[in-house]
Amino acid sequence: MAAYLVHRTFLMILTLFGMSVLIFVLLRVVPGNISDILFDSAGFVNPAEKARIEQELGLDQPIITQYWRWISDLAQGNLGYAYVTERPAAEEIAPRIPVTVKLAVLALIFSVIFGVPLGVISAVRQNTPLDYFLRVLSLSGLSLPSFWLALLILMAFVHYLGFIPIYTDPPDSFWKEIGLLSVPAAAVGFRSSALIMRLTRSSMLEVLRQDYIRTARSKGASPGTVNYDHALRNAVLPVVTIIGIEAAFLIGGLIVTETVFNIPGVARFLVEAAIWRDYPIVQNLVMFIAIVVVFANFAVDMAYMLLDPRIKYAD
Amino acid sequence: MTTIDHDAALLRAGAHVRGPWSAAAHLLRRYPLGAAGAVIVAVFILAALFADFVSPFDPIATNARASLAPPDTTYWMGADFMGRDVYSRIVHGARISLAVGAGSTALGCILGVIIGLMSGYLGGWVDLVVQRVMDIMQSLPLLVMALVMAAALGPSLENTIVAIAIPLIPHFARVIRSSTLSLREQPFVEAARATGMSELRIAVRHVLPNTLAPMIVLATAQLGSAILTEASLSFLGVGVPEPHPSWGRMLSESAAEYVRTAPWLVIFPGIAISLAVFGTNLLGDAMRDMLDPRERT
Amino acid sequence: MRLHRVAVAAVSLAGSVVLAVPALAQKPGGTLRIYHRDMPPSASILEEATISTNMPFMAVYNNLVMFDPKEKINSIDKIEPDLATSWSWDDGKTKLTMKLREGVKWHDGKPFTAKDVVCTWDKLTAEESDKGDRLRKNPRRVWWQNLKDVTANGNYEVTFQLNRPQPSFLALLAAGYTPVYPCHVSARDMRTKPIGTGPFKFVEMKRNESIRLVKNPDYWKKGHPYLDAIEWRIIPNRSTRILAFVAGEFDLTFDSDVTFPLLKDVKAQAPNAVCEARPTNVNTNLIVNRDAAPFDNPKIREAMMLALDRKAFSDILSQGHDKLGASMLPAPEGVWAMPEDMLKELPGFGDVAKNRAEARKIMEGLGYSADKPLKIKVATRNIAVYRDPAAILIDQLKQIYIEGELEPVDTPLWHAKVARKDYMVGLNLTGLGVDDPDVNFYENFTCKSERNYTGYCNPDVEKMINAQSGELDKEKRKKMVWEVERKLAEDGARPVIVHNVANTCWQPHMKGLVLQHNSIYNNWRFDDVWLDK
Repeated sequence: MAAYLVHRTFLMILTLFGMSVLIFVLLRVVPGNISDILFDSAGFVNPAEKARIEQELGLDQPIITQYWRWISDLAQGNLGYAYVTERPAAEEIAPRIPVTVKLAVLALIFSVIFGVPLGVISAVRQNTPLDYFLRVLSLSGLSLPSFWLALLILMAFVHYLGFIPIYTDPPDSFWKEIGLLSVPAAAVGFRSSALIMRLTRSSMLEVLRQDYIRTARSKGASPGTVNYDHALRNAVLPVVTIIGIEAAFLIGGLIVTETVFNIPGVARFLVEAAIWRDYPIVQNLVMFIAIVVVFANFAVDMAYMLLDPRIKYAD
Repeated sequence: MTTIDHDAALLRAGAHVRGPWSAAAHLLRRYPLGAAGAVIVAVFILAALFADFVSPFDPIATNARASLAPPDTTYWMGADFMGRDVYSRIVHGARISLAVGAGSTALGCILGVIIGLMSGYLGGWVDLVVQRVMDIMQSLPLLVMALVMAAALGPSLENTIVAIAIPLIPHFARVIRSSTLSLREQPFVEAARATGMSELRIAVRHVLPNTLAPMIVLATAQLGSAILTEASLSFLGVGVPEPHPSWGRMLSESAAEYVRTAPWLVIFPGIAISLAVFGTNLLGDAMRDMLDPRERT
Repeated sequence: MRLHRVAVAAVSLAGSVVLAVPALAQKPGGTLRIYHRDMPPSASILEEATISTNMPFMAVYNNLVMFDPKEKINSIDKIEPDLATSWSWDDGKTKLTMKLREGVKWHDGKPFTAKDVVCTWDKLTAEESDKGDRLRKNPRRVWWQNLKDVTANGNYEVTFQLNRPQPSFLALLAAGYTPVYPCHVSARDMRTKPIGTGPFKFVEMKRNESIRLVKNPDYWKKGHPYLDAIEWRIIPNRSTRILAFVAGEFDLTFDSDVTFPLLKDVKAQAPNAVCEARPTNVNTNLIVNRDAAPFDNPKIREAMMLALDRKAFSDILSQGHDKLGASMLPAPEGVWAMPEDMLKELPGFGDVAKNRAEARKIMEGLGYSADKPLKIKVATRNIAVYRDPAAILIDQLKQIYIEGELEPVDTPLWHAKVARKDYMVGLNLTGLGVDDPDVNFYENFTCKSERNYTGYCNPDVEKMINAQSGELDKEKRKKMVWEVERKLAEDGARPVIVHNVANTCWQPHMKGLVLQHNSIYNNWRFDDVWLDK
């Protein structure tokens, strides 16, 4: 088990390293760089000043040197400098993380609360009209673009309630903030709950087909006991994996939802930084997202290993 | 890794039924949701193919008098603030959505097949390196990767296809690789090798055709997310540019601004996206049930 | 709406109607809440050329002089003291001496003196090779090319020495774009933590989130400002921010953010909101790269000019409120507007059907037809105010066998791309900080200007531009200006499609704001604004 842990950790670091190379190369094929942005937004270019900034940023160095500079800074916790606002990138990114985390957690809770029970019901009532209905529901959930859903929600709020749940002010109390965030969380979570429901259903079905369930049934255990005691307990494991997958899936939804609801979070920041060609910010944000996803997967693997005694990891 | 008995799968799926009509009837009974999906997708494909014939207006023609016209007998789904007919734009938008969806899925599929085949067939360190790279690419959400790519390349139809195709590669490469690995040891491949067939020929002639079924399943499933990603990118302003009518961009700023005086600008393109994705998802589910016995319920 | 517009026009025509100031005492206190459409590139007004910086930060600074804040029309004849209390010209009209206000303090407590004035203009006229604390960008250097020297006479008097007479000089000093900077604060700090003498102090700017200003309790104008603070929230998505305004989250919209199609919506949802329409003095124009084939052929450029249906642009973009004119802002708001009958004679104005028939003939002569169209890319900035007219342009060019595809360019890359001449045809917006021909012509049409990024350069026209700039007689100068405009139109230098008109809205409890109708950049001091609630 210790060996597996080491192996898995090594893989994780390797993945993150590869990720950093990939992001770096990807952003170097971008036409136009930060020095263009700084000067050209006013339609005026002073070549001497521009060259000086490029030198300051190391843009005149070979790409390997630039990469090394970034990664060694990153390892020391130095995220570089956001030249658009002339502040350290860490100061720009850090305050945005809590909002996004709160939103993501709320959305996750929302999607688990709805997704898991409905998925179980759908599996247990397989091929009944209820199952069909739930399957269509979950598929249509997956088919609705979350920005459309967000727009519809905003429309409904203004039309029926006369106010708008956008994040114009940093709310003064925690609960107020949660209240404000719960609306966009529902918009993101709706789509995610559809995914969770589908995956729960199929993993539940898998378990229901297992021999020991058949055995339990043949021994005369009541359907309730079989479904909820035996099957659900065993289906929990794959559901944990699903929630890990969710982490990646959620971020995609957050990008558009934070934009529509004007939430000053990490995901919206990524869109803006990408459009502004702000290398230090985009690089670090994508890296941040990668780290979150890779860690989530790692945590899921670990949880899996701890939860499931049947699996032996020899390496 | 279990091998897939496709003949048996097809048999169970109703392929033994003779005649196209009775086969269709059989499929319809067995996979009603899939059939519904197929119909929806077919409608969108027809709309895309015959867009010029079924749309009453030029999708880019502006008309001051029709600005924000509500739906009526002339403008079936109303007009946007530049007086462009929403219905005509949605019909032509099907072309863009399907072109980007199918284009990026196909591109991702081709690249994925090449990489997956190479990785699975050659094995060794090539396989190791390729698998790592695929891992890395998959650890970023599709939209994040596509967003960074699209912003980097700049908004255009071709760039959008590329931006969506690249994050799709690992999905295809994975499936191809695992099929290849299991097929490599199959007797018929061994036999082919014994007759002195070149490895490349074996890969193309024997291995590739046998990965077709999982490919189709995956491609249908990915088509929906490709369409959705295109819509999201265009919504964010980094996708398909004017004058191409893209559903996602129809929903972005200009439409949303007039949401209360002209709700049709938000409702119809949204329905178009949802319906198209819904159709491909239904179809994808049915395809999987049909062709992939492991997932059979 | 019509009625409202007529009323506005009437006010503008009168030109000098003083806005009725309520007899009731203004209530002090409260926080003014405004939404912003995007992130200002920096807080340093001198370094930026966008209303995104100007509107929020003008309240931090003072000018030497300013356009009468109670007037709706900026005019050289109506200039008021700000940090300069009085001024006088010498007989040759090349020496301007100004007395400065005493006892004024910068926000950090240091006293304001003539040295700060000298420093500011030293920065504005610095050469590229100059060392020291320079501005990173200096988009309006061309404004000061006639300025020879600035000298301090003691602590409270300065003299501006010009090379030749320039009647517009005082107007340039009065522009919102010309605040006075402190000597002792670095250019870098001015971009991120600006220090001024103005009615509000800078507190913080959070990227893409908010900007906060608080009342300057030591403001030299006694009893002002009324507000305790101004709070800006940045909301890039227009539908979201309009919804927020309608829902009462804000007292004031961003300047000219409410287009005419949107106005109906705002009025329906927030019937009490006050909305004022005015020209932005930003014009939508066509740029053609005359170095790139086939546009090096003047025939094609002429055909494109003839293809424009300006009224259709105005009808679609602003329900017909946008104004048609030459290069300067049209009447009644524009002080230098070209007379109607002269305008009709310019190429591309007049009967559209006839023009287009002529354009088609030209194109056919060059071998193009409906079956064999000329395929082009139309480059434009990737934001709605650029993209929407570009879509109309593409539609109109179709009429003369030109098939366009839009090439949206992200904001940070736009100016660089145009400056590199990496485009064929583009759709562009040009804003004027002051309604004055010197500002327009020197910035946009002289050979050496940094902002002349289409690279139009005609020595004859340049001579005419210099001549009008030195003309002291206003009526004579107008005639010279129109000649320049005619020449520019004939050369097809950035043909203006429309002069934009848009609305700014506020809640009825916000009082004391006067919008100026021939420039959006000049009256954002907020020291007379108060909240009645």
